[in-house]
Amino acid sequence: MKALAAGMIAVALPFAASAQVEKFALDPFHTVPYFEIDHLGFATIRGRFAKPTGSFSIDWGAKTGTAEIVIPTASVDTGDPDRDGRPRTRDEHLRNPDFFNAAEFPTMTYRATAVKFAGDRPDVIEGNLTLLGVTRPVALKIERWRCGPDPRTQGKRYQCGGNATGAFKRSDFGMKFGLPTAIGDEVNLWMSFYGFRQ
Amino acid sequence: MTQELLSNPAVQGGVAPFVVALLVALVLARAQLAGLAVLAAFLTCTYFVAGFQLTPLTALRKVLLVVVAAGLLAVLLDFAFRPTRVGFALVAVGCAAASLWAFGPVIATRPGAEAWRLGAVVAVSVAFMVGFSMRVLASDGVRAGAAALGTGLGVGVAAIIGASASLGLQGISLGAGAGAFLLPQMIRGKKAFAGATLTLPAMLIGALLACAAMVLAELPWHAVLVLAAIPAVAALPLPRSAPAWAQAVLCTLYTLVVAGAACALAWPASQ
Repeated sequence: MKALAAGMIAVALPFAASAQVEKFALDPFHTVPYFEIDHLGFATIRGRFAKPTGSFSIDWGAKTGTAEIVIPTASVDTGDPDRDGRPRTRDEHLRNPDFFNAAEFPTMTYRATAVKFAGDRPDVIEGNLTLLGVTRPVALKIERWRCGPDPRTQGKRYQCGGNATGAFKRSDFGMKFGLPTAIGDEVNLWMSFYGFRQ
Repeated sequence: MTQELLSNPAVQGGVAPFVVALLVALVLARAQLAGLAVLAAFLTCTYFVAGFQLTPLTALRKVLLVVVAAGLLAVLLDFAFRPTRVGFALVAVGCAAASLWAFGPVIATRPGAEAWRLGAVVAVSVAFMVGFSMRVLASDGVRAGAAALGTGLGVGVAAIIGASASLGLQGISLGAGAGAFLLPQMIRGKKAFAGATLTLPAMLIGALLACAAMVLAELPWHAVLVLAAIPAVAALPLPRSAPAWAQAVLCTLYTLVVAGAACALAWPASQ
């Protein structure tokens, strides 16, 4: 009898472990990566990207996880959509080879390599950002995190959401236009994210 | 202070390329390599705005490789063997193939009809500008220099209108290099040797930058075709008895009219 119980536990253990791994699909409408950068040494300009796709998973037992987010570079938006007599808008300039080169690199990607927990919630994501075909490590600090039923679906859908921040130097990715004085090198990131449990 | 000066776009695209190109034109004139001034100007500007790293091998880095290879080929063409009419055609077709190697992967991501149109404009404009210039303008240092000057300024301004300032600076650096090639001729009153050493890299740089502004930025395709006509107008009649400086000014005016037309075509497309 004891042997049978031990056998059943041994068989069930992997399932128990996998039950602690939850997978989430990113909500493209509420996951918004923002960036800010120095402009001419006078002001900080902010921009954002629309409709990223991706997923993340959390292993609550092992306190680790995975994450991947794919961001369409052509969606860059700094709030300058109209030409108003100018040949091009700032956002059109940002899509071209001086900056994001969206025709050649339509997406940039962030892939986590490690998720570190603080207590029972993820705290820091270590990963690689691929921008303009160059991959460099970038860490994201999870500043806010909450999981629970989505109130918009009367609790039928389960979601996790929060905010993350990070920083990198754009010159590390070969984006050198306007350096060193016109446009800053240091890019600060701030993003809201939501994931729906699958 | 120095860093601020060197980060000034006017220095990166105009002053520094002109100074380097003038040195090259003066030092290498006796060796009949003064035409390399335009390549030196382009590389000077590229150093400032993009650097020389080649990985990942993007379209613009392929352009850099193609242009440097063309500079080496041009020296061989002038001094190792003189190409025939068929030889000029082969070089032009080879340049068109190299340009498709550079831009093909990006063009292939566009919808069918647009991809074919962009590919055709790239191949035709590169082949014509290189082939025509080598065949018709290479024997006349003033005409070849004026064609390069008009092409550089036209492509530079059109690229800026097409939303790429770095491509614009590189185009203007080509114009600065051509100006440095023309200036000693205008002062001395004697035409310099142009040959493939000037015409091949100059027209390839101009054509590839225009195509880059079309494929990677927003320069309209018909503006690229008008820019490609610049070498043709540099072959228009000039008063033979006029001094070299007057011929250079007149021929440059011819090319700038066409360059201006291309920029005008680029502008309404942006409204």
